[in-house]
Amino acid sequence: MPRSVVLAAIALTFACGARHDAPHVRQLPRPEGSPALRGGGPARSPRNASYKIDAKLDVVHHTITATETLTWTNLGASQVDTLPFHLYLNAFKNESSLLMQTSHGVLRSATATEHWGFLQIDKVTVGGVPSTRLHTTGPGSDETVAELPLERPVAPGASVEVGFTFTAQLPEAFARTGYKGEFNLVAQWFPKIGVRVGPPGTEHWECNPYAATTEFFADFGVYDVSVTVPSTYVVAATGVLANAVESPGGTRTFTYHAEDVHDFAWMADPYMEVLERPAKVADGTIVVRVYHRPEQLHFASRHLEAAVGAVEKFSAWFEPYPWPVLTVIDPPIDAADSAGGIEFPMFVTTAGDTVFARRGLRLPEYVTVHEVGHNWFQGMLASNESEEAWLDEGVNEWADAKVMAELYGARTSGVDWMGWQADISELRMAVDTEPDVLPSPIATAAYAFPDMSAYSQASYVETMKALATLERTVSPAKFAAAMKAYAHQFAFKHPTGRDLFATLEKELGQDLAWFFGPVFQEVGGTNLAIRSAECRASHPARGWIGAGSAKKLLTSTEAPSTGGYVCEVIVQNTGVVHVPVDLDLRFADGVVQREHWDDKGAGNWQKFTVERSSQLVEVILDPDDKIALGSPMTRRYRLAGEGAASMRGASWFAGGVQTLMQLVGP
Amino acid sequence: MTRVRLRDLVVAGPRAVSRYTGTLLAVHVVQLIATLGCMLAIAMVLAQTFAHLPMWDDAVDGDLVALLACLSYGKSAFLAIGGVAFGTLVAWQLVSWFLVGGLYGVLAKRPEGRREVARCFGASGASTFLAYARLAIVQLPAYAVVLFVLITGLGIAAPAMGSALTIPALVGPLALGTLPALLLLHFVWTVTDYARVELALRQDTHDPGVLVTYLRTLGYVARNPVTLVHGALGWILFVLVTLAYAYLAAGHPMYGAEGAVTIFVARQCVSLMRTAFRFGILGGQIELGRTRALPPRRTDTTSENK
Repeated sequence: MPRSVVLAAIALTFACGARHDAPHVRQLPRPEGSPALRGGGPARSPRNASYKIDAKLDVVHHTITATETLTWTNLGASQVDTLPFHLYLNAFKNESSLLMQTSHGVLRSATATEHWGFLQIDKVTVGGVPSTRLHTTGPGSDETVAELPLERPVAPGASVEVGFTFTAQLPEAFARTGYKGEFNLVAQWFPKIGVRVGPPGTEHWECNPYAATTEFFADFGVYDVSVTVPSTYVVAATGVLANAVESPGGTRTFTYHAEDVHDFAWMADPYMEVLERPAKVADGTIVVRVYHRPEQLHFASRHLEAAVGAVEKFSAWFEPYPWPVLTVIDPPIDAADSAGGIEFPMFVTTAGDTVFARRGLRLPEYVTVHEVGHNWFQGMLASNESEEAWLDEGVNEWADAKVMAELYGARTSGVDWMGWQADISELRMAVDTEPDVLPSPIATAAYAFPDMSAYSQASYVETMKALATLERTVSPAKFAAAMKAYAHQFAFKHPTGRDLFATLEKELGQDLAWFFGPVFQEVGGTNLAIRSAECRASHPARGWIGAGSAKKLLTSTEAPSTGGYVCEVIVQNTGVVHVPVDLDLRFADGVVQREHWDDKGAGNWQKFTVERSSQLVEVILDPDDKIALGSPMTRRYRLAGEGAASMRGASWFAGGVQTLMQLVGP
Repeated sequence: MTRVRLRDLVVAGPRAVSRYTGTLLAVHVVQLIATLGCMLAIAMVLAQTFAHLPMWDDAVDGDLVALLACLSYGKSAFLAIGGVAFGTLVAWQLVSWFLVGGLYGVLAKRPEGRREVARCFGASGASTFLAYARLAIVQLPAYAVVLFVLITGLGIAAPAMGSALTIPALVGPLALGTLPALLLLHFVWTVTDYARVELALRQDTHDPGVLVTYLRTLGYVARNPVTLVHGALGWILFVLVTLAYAYLAAGHPMYGAEGAVTIFVARQCVSLMRTAFRFGILGGQIELGRTRALPPRRTDTTSENK
């Protein structure tokens, strides 16, 4: 074979990544022609932070030049003399930012490169009058929060108009923001005002700097955003497309309108294609779109199926999706780690497209369901993610598991491949770190966790486990109704953990302080285990029985075994979370006897003594799998050791070793 | 010297197997004993951790969640199993120097009768053991080169593999990335085999030095591609049998203690076949090794003159 042919084949194989045709001018998309809220209903939120933005993307330098007008209304009972703003893109400015300090430049397998980003404020006006008083507030060299002292305070109920002219330099994609090649994910990109919270008259601003573990908290409003990009670029964004026109210089301007949202993100890419399908909810339909590169079509169809199912289930179980469109971006494969898996209102990015995610291995679907779910637990229920990340991440995780089970089957929601099956939540719990090694309770401010691992574990998995435990303990139907009430009551508000606890207690009609306190505010979790289990042959008491002349020595001859057994089982919970638990005692004759330990913290252990004609063979703690907290590993215990499974496992291992032996020897 | 063709090498394999079937089985029994020892040690470690926990039964029976939970719970046990496996491999490597030396000796000298075969096997294994140990040290630089080529190849292939969305897109770069290292490894192993043949054949008459033998064999194998093709045939059969077993075993969970026995027996059949292939390859190598030019004689004769 000619050498050139061999070389060409090798080159082709190594270059077998995505290849695209040259970008071409796409057909100008038609405006949606629908109101920004489905059915055009009344405002769902106070809309006190509304933005008008005109932005132009330089696709060569990944720079956005823009003007922004914010209209902010003081909903509090006290006047405001300073406005704080998130300048989140400055998190990508240098290694001194809090994001880079807390992530060490690595987040979710993505590494920050030296293509930095920044948000440069070129001009500020207040009420049309230029102001030079905007200054960053740290901490340290961090520039992600700035304050604007006002010449005149904003009285309660009054509004102020703040104008910005700014330049946003996108970083190479990291922490779900930036560009990768020609793909641009424009997120965290404009000056965004903080949120005033607190009791009337004593409100304070919440405007935390951007750390690796903190994401969103913002007020609702109306967004009118125009973005100008080259005509060859496809754009997708928060909101509905209100207008699309050709602009000078081979560009196009897309205008998006969104109502009752608290953020705005968009994507521009010359190669994206789109799949769409309607999702049907009780009061209408929603257009679900998945933007994807051509080579990811196969995964896009999986994402679309998951997104449509998620919209339908979340709408039915919590609150109907209020907007007419949901956009899912499936980032290019080389941007999956850095740009995949982030949520904005009406706009999310997904991830999970890998060769290993065969159909039936449902990581791609799970990421989509999770991100779509954030349109409820964050998009509508806009809790403060810096202070209470668990309230959107963890509650969302719990809901995701239910949606996945409904869409893909309870036992196959995570894996249904080559004979292997697994439920997604059980899978997550199985690989979970033990909760008692977590140094921070669930209800810890996101920025106060010692590291990313503790944050993820507590905010996502432990919260999911806690809610699943409560759900199974109080009854799934009642719990679902209570969560629906919470979603309905606090949609388009900023609920806190207290609001969730109070709603659950009210709806479930129980004082749940015994559960919420230890689970969410203490370190230690549940550490349930079978301490010991043993049986001995039962017989009448032996030894000297009686007194005086009636005293009689009973030996094993006079007091023989009755043929029955006395079995003792000691169950312990050395964690701080005490949950009532059932116990099944399985005897050799096949009888299963159920016991109950109403463990609510009165003691750390309980002894069960049972006398039966048959010997105890196995103890099963929490037989109905109600307690998702803690490890399930030690909750089944058989009294007699059994080695067959170990022999089988050893046989597999030894077979592998023997194969290796044959490689190194005869 | 007569020219030995590939066909002659291949035919020598079945001839060796049929002539010395007992020797082949004996070697396999040694391997079986080592495997059994390894298996029992692993079983003890597992039973120590999991005997009272039924979730382990579920894990072994294919419950993915239970398996992950057990892997997480029994980390130290699995670490210990890794140690047992590594120890077994190291021990087997040492034993294999004796066994291979014995096999080459038997195939070279063609003894008749069970007792004579055993004597020849033992004598040859013992006499070549230290030479083979030295050979293992001499070839370490070659393994370092293989490792370097492997890392370099995988480094080149990694970006394409990382963005792979289909099996061909993954396997293509992976195959090309590892192919140079695999070919080089095959070359190194073949050189080792023929160096061993030379040491076994000429130990008594020429007492060739290990380093000289290795260097001479490097050139010999490079000049005689038939050695590489012949060795590759053995590995291809090895892989085919392994894949066939994996294919046939898939979907047969083999539960319980009977399952453990079934798995073990089935695997031993596969291993025996692979040992037979290897034995056949050794037979061919001996045939070819005989035809090599004699090494320089290093035997010291001055002491006889005194």
